[in-house]
Amino acid sequence: MTNDPLSHFREIWLVDFEFRPHDGQEGSLPDAVCLVAHEVRSGKTIKLRCHEMGDLPPYPTDESVLFVAYYASAEIGCHLALGWPVPARILDLYVEHRNQTNGLSHAAGLVDALAFHSLDHMGAHEKHSMRDLILAGGPWSEEQWTTILDYCEEDTLALARLLPAMLPAIDLPRALLRGRYMAAAACMEHNGVPIDTQTFDRIKKHREAIKTRLIERIDADYSVYEGTSFRRQRFAAWLQERGIPWPHDDRGHLRLDDETFRQMERAYPEIAPLRQLRAFLGENRSSPLPVGADGRNRVLISAFGSRTGRNQPSSVRAVFHRPAWNRSLIKPQPGWGIAYIDWSQQEVGIAAALSGDSAMQQAYTSGDPYLEFGKQAGAIPSDGTKKTHKAERDRFKACVLAVQYGMQAESLAANIGCPVIEARELLRLHRETYPKFWAWSEAAVDHALLLGELQTVFGWTIRVGADANPRSLANFPMQANGAEMLRLACAMATEEGIRVCAPVHDAVLIEAPLDMLDQHAARMQAIMAEASRIVLDGFVLRTDVEIVRSPDRYMDERGEKMWDELMRLIAEVETEREADDLPAPATPLLGQVPTDSAGPSITLSI
Amino acid sequence: MADAAPNPFDPKKLRLQQDYLGSAGVKKLLTRVPARKPSKQEWFRTHPDPAYRMDMGVIELKEDDAIYAVSAGLQADLLDLMVPVTIYTTVTRQGGVLLWPVRLPGEDGKNNDAWVASHEAAERATEAWMRLQWNMALRAYDMFEATGILHEPAWPDVTFEQLLEIGFQGRIIDKPDHLVIKKLRGEA
Repeated sequence: MTNDPLSHFREIWLVDFEFRPHDGQEGSLPDAVCLVAHEVRSGKTIKLRCHEMGDLPPYPTDESVLFVAYYASAEIGCHLALGWPVPARILDLYVEHRNQTNGLSHAAGLVDALAFHSLDHMGAHEKHSMRDLILAGGPWSEEQWTTILDYCEEDTLALARLLPAMLPAIDLPRALLRGRYMAAAACMEHNGVPIDTQTFDRIKKHREAIKTRLIERIDADYSVYEGTSFRRQRFAAWLQERGIPWPHDDRGHLRLDDETFRQMERAYPEIAPLRQLRAFLGENRSSPLPVGADGRNRVLISAFGSRTGRNQPSSVRAVFHRPAWNRSLIKPQPGWGIAYIDWSQQEVGIAAALSGDSAMQQAYTSGDPYLEFGKQAGAIPSDGTKKTHKAERDRFKACVLAVQYGMQAESLAANIGCPVIEARELLRLHRETYPKFWAWSEAAVDHALLLGELQTVFGWTIRVGADANPRSLANFPMQANGAEMLRLACAMATEEGIRVCAPVHDAVLIEAPLDMLDQHAARMQAIMAEASRIVLDGFVLRTDVEIVRSPDRYMDERGEKMWDELMRLIAEVETEREADDLPAPATPLLGQVPTDSAGPSITLSI
Repeated sequence: MADAAPNPFDPKKLRLQQDYLGSAGVKKLLTRVPARKPSKQEWFRTHPDPAYRMDMGVIELKEDDAIYAVSAGLQADLLDLMVPVTIYTTVTRQGGVLLWPVRLPGEDGKNNDAWVASHEAAERATEAWMRLQWNMALRAYDMFEATGILHEPAWPDVTFEQLLEIGFQGRIIDKPDHLVIKKLRGEA
């Protein structure tokens, strides 16, 4: 058995849960409905219904036992909800399938993985009727229970077929490290982000009135709305009047996607209020923020969801991924505080460390890599500061960011509103100042194109297919190793008992009782430093911390103006309604959530 | 049982190298080295190592806008057609590698200010970024030195002989009946 990579484990448990959010409310913790667990060596199968689940799992969870699942954060989430311990060794076949096919295919469901390995996937198909039955909640008849358990067992049996097929290509030690993160992801999903539900309720309650007034107020400077409809022709006239060149699509129409607005906003800041308004109106048409009965925003983190391995939570359901003003809804519960801790210029630091470019390392360790780049390039004097040379620093910063995203001179020029020749010169200065970085970066792309893959320090892999994009490949080492760093830090922190509420690209939000907040924030910073040291082989990245203590709320400066405007409008509407003593209108687009702020779903006062 | 149980809690031992420079064995090849002077807009440096410059005879064929190197053994027979030059290995700020021919005085000792200025610029360019621009009014070169650029050029990792081989590939006059000679003598 020495060739068996699993020979170290005395037991191998394949586990699948069926579950539903508590009380059926999205954002609430999961209620485990049933569990089917199968031990590979003995062939033993355990089937438990919710009321049969005890204080401990029916299988051991120590390091001599391998816990195998498909999308393990869901199973671990059930463990946490049940108060069960987290297994010490987790192998997630979803993550490994993603890793084996990343870049070639994005289909990563259990059926897709079975099909990829030419395995029988009958029975593992998603059955919507079964899902509906489970989500509807009990009580279930004996016949329904049998059906639900059979449905759950089908996935466990699918794991039994999938494991031996995938095993030869699995790098087990690093796969277990990825499994370790799935436990951390489950912890973070379990914790969720604390939301000011009272204010959230007020916004929902007065949404229609706010919407109309917001349009009136902001559109006064643009005249591009007709009622609540954005008129493309009016916008075109407004642009023409101001001489703003706007990108067009292939059909010659103005591009109206948020990314175009975001890009244009940099060169023409007068567009910003219009962009915020459009985002606000747009998000009202999409899913509401899922907030559990306990006032927490809980969403699937979607670990390993992107090609770089970064988390990919929903951009409309995760509070941190919605337009910036939504972050003001984040508010610690009484007696608690939150700390937002992010790595300073993480991607610059990673590029400097992994490429071994000493000039870039020096720029990073200076504390202001953009200013230092300007100095190294001879454009800013050695005694120049962020204040004395703000404009120059901004340009060098834009250049560094442009390099990270593989931008060409034309895009950089559009971003910073300068002639193309100037942008070209900035990019040339970057190449000249950091020749070792460029040689390394180009070698990484060559490596990918020649050998068909690129890997992070812990083996997260991008496969190079026919649609290979050299710019994405050049950026992969920075993004994907940044993801490794975040995963490691989240795992270390959650295992130490730090309450991590959410990972946010290159940052984390943690919470702690007020008397322990500073200590936990400092510990989190130390953990993030250690994670960077491990990933970057000794090079340590700095972190910044922002602390918010109850009763204050979190605030992102990018969304502050919009938030203030919203709060002012709500206050106006409430004053008027109070004066008129009229009931608020219903909010049909958010129909899932009761409009009455005293309703049962979001009434938990914090 | 195999040697050691995999331990995801010891990530230092799981770290893979990210040194791509050696992994795929990729090397940029120098395949083109134009023999020309830097343009009036190009900042340039010349190689400080004397082994990267050489005096030789060249023939400029105007109709092809090309410079031909004359083999040492033929130079005595082609004094009427060729001109003596110093070839300087030159790198532009854009990273281009040039073989810059700068005229030397002829057999008759005839010299001119432009040639002298070019040699002077080539010498200065061993230590600083330079630019030359012809001044029509003065009928002389204006010489510019960049004072704020501190970066040293990246020199090609090849010998001067290899540079000459690349730069004059197909343009070496090594026999008296070379087509270029015939053309210039009205024989072809």
